[in-house]
Amino acid sequence: MNREGAETYLRLLAEAAMRRALAASPEQRLAGSADPGGHRTRLKLVGQALAAVGALDFGTLGDILVDFNLAMAVRAASDPGRDPGQALATSLALHGQPVHQLPVTWGVRLGLGRVEVTGPASPGAGPAGPTGPEREPGPDDADRFVPVGLKVPFRDADVSGELFLMSYTRTRAGARFFAVWNIRAPALRDISLIPFGQITVADDRGARYGLEFAPSGDSGWTSEIVLCPAPPPGARWLDVTAPGSTTVRVGLGAPDGDGTGNALVSKTETSPGEHLLATIGERLLTAVPDQPRNPWRQATAVAPPALRHMAAGLGDIVGALEAADVLSPLSPVPARLATLCASLGIAEHGIMAPPARQLPEPWLSVLSHYQRRKPEPVPLLDGYAAMTAALPELDGIGLTLLGLHHSEGGSSLYALARGPLPEAFLGPFGIDPTFPLSVWLRDSGGRWHAARPAERRRSGSRDAEPTMRLQLVPPLTRATPWAEVLAGGQTAEVRTRLPLRWGYPS
Amino acid sequence: MTTMPNDDWFTCLSRCEAVVPCGSGQHVVRWEAGALELDNHADPEAERVLAALGGGKARCVEVAEAWTRHAADLTVLLVGPRGPDGIVVGWEDVDAAGQDGRRGGGLGPGAPGGPGQVPVRRPSTMLAAAMARASAQRSQLLQEHAEARQRRTDLLSLLALGPAFQVRLAGQVVAAHAGLLGEPDEQGRSRRPALTAALEGRLALVAERWIGIDPDYVKASLHAGPGWGSVELTGRGEQRRLQVSLPADWVARVWACGLALVGRHLVVAVDRAGWPDARVLALPAPGAEPVLLDVHARGGSPAGPDGEHPAGEGSVGESAASDGPHWEI
Repeated sequence: MNREGAETYLRLLAEAAMRRALAASPEQRLAGSADPGGHRTRLKLVGQALAAVGALDFGTLGDILVDFNLAMAVRAASDPGRDPGQALATSLALHGQPVHQLPVTWGVRLGLGRVEVTGPASPGAGPAGPTGPEREPGPDDADRFVPVGLKVPFRDADVSGELFLMSYTRTRAGARFFAVWNIRAPALRDISLIPFGQITVADDRGARYGLEFAPSGDSGWTSEIVLCPAPPPGARWLDVTAPGSTTVRVGLGAPDGDGTGNALVSKTETSPGEHLLATIGERLLTAVPDQPRNPWRQATAVAPPALRHMAAGLGDIVGALEAADVLSPLSPVPARLATLCASLGIAEHGIMAPPARQLPEPWLSVLSHYQRRKPEPVPLLDGYAAMTAALPELDGIGLTLLGLHHSEGGSSLYALARGPLPEAFLGPFGIDPTFPLSVWLRDSGGRWHAARPAERRRSGSRDAEPTMRLQLVPPLTRATPWAEVLAGGQTAEVRTRLPLRWGYPS
Repeated sequence: MTTMPNDDWFTCLSRCEAVVPCGSGQHVVRWEAGALELDNHADPEAERVLAALGGGKARCVEVAEAWTRHAADLTVLLVGPRGPDGIVVGWEDVDAAGQDGRRGGGLGPGAPGGPGQVPVRRPSTMLAAAMARASAQRSQLLQEHAEARQRRTDLLSLLALGPAFQVRLAGQVVAAHAGLLGEPDEQGRSRRPALTAALEGRLALVAERWIGIDPDYVKASLHAGPGWGSVELTGRGEQRRLQVSLPADWVARVWACGLALVGRHLVVAVDRAGWPDARVLALPAPGAEPVLLDVHARGGSPAGPDGEHPAGEGSVGESAASDGPHWEI
């Protein structure tokens, strides 16, 4: 990796951006926009791309952006068309803050984006936390992932509803169910009404477990239920008893094979630059608005204006990645990206490579979905599917699939992420470069759905294993009886086909 | 011709002056032979001591301190001027920006965790830890804002001295780093990216005036080793490219001294430095053999760093530009 080349490229881009901005017509410069011509946005975008592949640290990037903004501000203030009394103060206010040009968290800023926040939890930590003393894992410490697919109804004087247990996981960070909940009455769907204090869990030896309920941060329909303490590895079943219903037995018997869902791993030698460009391509694909609910209203089959605006910097990103030696000039990926842009109606992408004739099959599948534009005759009912598989590690990240949820026209794949995941930060096009995997799902009809990271959720006791919600784009249109999941990293990809057990709220 | 000149980079530069509003008067700040002089302050060091003891600091002294702080600051090169126009910043702008920065701190006493916040109950251990973290982050944020504000005020003050000072500061910075290309800077970063950008950003505009090429088609790199470097024009029409390789200190020794373009020649090196007479090595056209030219600085005529006359008139800063030389063959 050529970090000096990366910084040089960005600084030269800043020089060119400043020249072009100042060469613009006075009308454009005085229009009041904080970023006439989009030069500042493009510079930041390219900087974010270089930071995403580790070719540029956040300190240097922040310094360049701050100085570029100041340089633009003082030049804009010198514009003869401006009011001399207000010129510089207005310009400085318009052209940004003197510090913190990037929306990154403290953890990322202080660690320059390479904070090792998470790692495998220590075996002795249990559910109370991953920070206990390290010890050698024994045979009983093997992780366990069990697809459950059982409904636990509950009813008391105030509330009635059900929990749908999608999966059970037991790792060194603890044991938990991943669940979807539904309240039938009262009409107020307040999760705090669920009588968790009255739900009991006992194992085959009579040991009882406390429950910690951790609602998700998205729609509120999904949640994790942590068992305290974690049941022993040899537990054969768990009896879950909720008020007003019979006991539901969750079998924890021998896991399915090696727990990986018979995954097939194949090597893929992609460079960091190619991997980033592919991720950007997926981001563009998933940014297209889906089929409108009203079939008479035509969908917008092109990327929204904001993304089209940013896509104008793709050529610069390609150039920057080449300058940083993380993308070969012979790589076919820029050409694919050019074809994708053309398919999405993005004409000004700046990529010099001629468009490729072929695109990856999943990309083609999603593009054909957009071009088909036919609404499904019968929409998929709200529901949830149990599916569990611990995929082999990719780029140091172990992904465990926890279940599918379809609600209000949107589909989500839930997964547990384990490994050295740094604290998330915003990369180019809004992608999270710290989650280095590309995840796709193919339904039984052969249609591919991109699984776009939409939320990463940590809680204090499970910092080492955040739960991720991956939004499926386009959403599922039928209760597919099986799904093939394709997860790709920089050096390898893994495919696994999993049966799905669907459940629906009563 | 020497490839590693022993003379100072500023030998081809004359003195220049700027008028600075200081206290209730107008003081002269002077640059001469690479140093900033405060003609109206006999003992600036004593004034600094007094200021440290609680007295007010004279603006001239603040400007001199800012000059010292940024005389080797590579970031100056990104903010500073590229062409003959310089950057127009008035002292009232500096004052307004400073007041705006103080107002816009956004972390006043009412902010969470700030002074004046009275805890209503005793926090739990976890809450106390979270508050301690927030307090530490806030302290760091305040410090960063204060440093950033100071830096911005510094740079605006230095720009307010006018184009003649602006190009001299750029030359000073480049000269401080040009001989240390192989070594990382104080922060452990390579010096090459900032120096390459400084070279290309300035040379591109000079080349546009020299041969009419689009500045975007000028590609510059830092020349190392014997000789002055190379200038090559390739392609035609849209494919025309000017590839230039020059030593990093070209920005200091040639551009900052106003020698970049003399008599339709691109000056690539200074053979014999001096003012008002010097001998330079210059190219009549890309790919041509360089020729030695005796050049003479004609004082009293406003000129920018590429030897051409600047556009625009009338600010405090621009009055200093008249101290810049206009070189002729």
